[in-house]
Amino acid sequence: MSNENGKVLKHGTQTRTMHWIHLLAFIILGLTGVGFYWDIGGIASIFGGEANASLVHRWTGVVFVVGPLLYTLLNFDRFSRFMDTISHFSKDDFAWLKVMGGYLPFIKADDVPPQDKYNAGQKILGWLIIIGCLLIILTGFPMWLWRHSVPAVFLSFCYDVHFWTAMVLILLVAGHFFLAAIHPKSRVEFSSMMLDGYIDAEITAHHNAKWFAELKESS
Amino acid sequence: MKLFHESEGITRRQFFKGAGMLTVAAVISGVFAKFGFDVFAASDDYITQRVAGLYTLDESMAIRKSHENPEIIQIYKDFLSPGKVECVSPKAHHLLHTKYGKDIPGFIAELKNPHHVPEVESAANEETSTEEPAA
Repeated sequence: MSNENGKVLKHGTQTRTMHWIHLLAFIILGLTGVGFYWDIGGIASIFGGEANASLVHRWTGVVFVVGPLLYTLLNFDRFSRFMDTISHFSKDDFAWLKVMGGYLPFIKADDVPPQDKYNAGQKILGWLIIIGCLLIILTGFPMWLWRHSVPAVFLSFCYDVHFWTAMVLILLVAGHFFLAAIHPKSRVEFSSMMLDGYIDAEITAHHNAKWFAELKESS
Repeated sequence: MKLFHESEGITRRQFFKGAGMLTVAAVISGVFAKFGFDVFAASDDYITQRVAGLYTLDESMAIRKSHENPEIIQIYKDFLSPGKVECVSPKAHHLLHTKYGKDIPGFIAELKNPHHVPEVESAANEETSTEEPAA
């Protein structure tokens, strides 16, 4: 670890608010969706029965779309910086992926390459979540609004894509939660996104060395 | 304590990446929505034409109500409720109503042996005979 003092504002208020809204919406959507697919009456009961759970699922889907959309339009600069970061893969990112950032116990990583604001794993996760959300949104609304109009084959295709994308996203979010909140190497990230937005400069200088160098240069 | 913040504003590259991503998402969503609305409109048009076709067919029919169909009236008079038109007569009920569940084995037996009068029908006939003595 470096000997940097101070704190870094990693996630602004709007970003944290959007993350909270999206997270809560995702949990409700995941719970109700799993309840529908495997016909688990207990889950439907939490939301007031099958019919109410279905209503909750659909309207939470609207929140799931509108939340990030509003954030993107009102914080275009933050969104653009985020897209720039996750779409930029350098040699350091590929070197990070080779050792998986030192997170896996069976891959020896003596020297983890310096990373941007988001490491290579987070960049891939960012893309998977964007693509997954687009797929789940684009298949979800036809299942709700056009179910009596579109061909049955297309509707069935939407159901399959919606379900399997949801399964992948649930697994990804579970992994994201484990690394961000439980894993001893990275759980310090948790409070920066879920609470005040700040993280120790010392940790940032170690985990996100390239980004921290930019911050130091600009401040 | 020193606080580090990201600088405000974006570079040209960041702008193009942000705008590019939004454009791609908007185009994909737009194409998908266009497909959905077109299919919806086509479906709506089909339903409108189908409804119009059914109404046109119905209007061209000489007999438009089953209870005014002379053949049906005659079947009731001759067979289902002899001498009158009683649409819920026991015979009409027995022959024209669908059988479900436990009634099916008895119905199959009746079909195999049509001359045998089932208990239900016998009871119904007895009931009718007590209520409405033969004229």
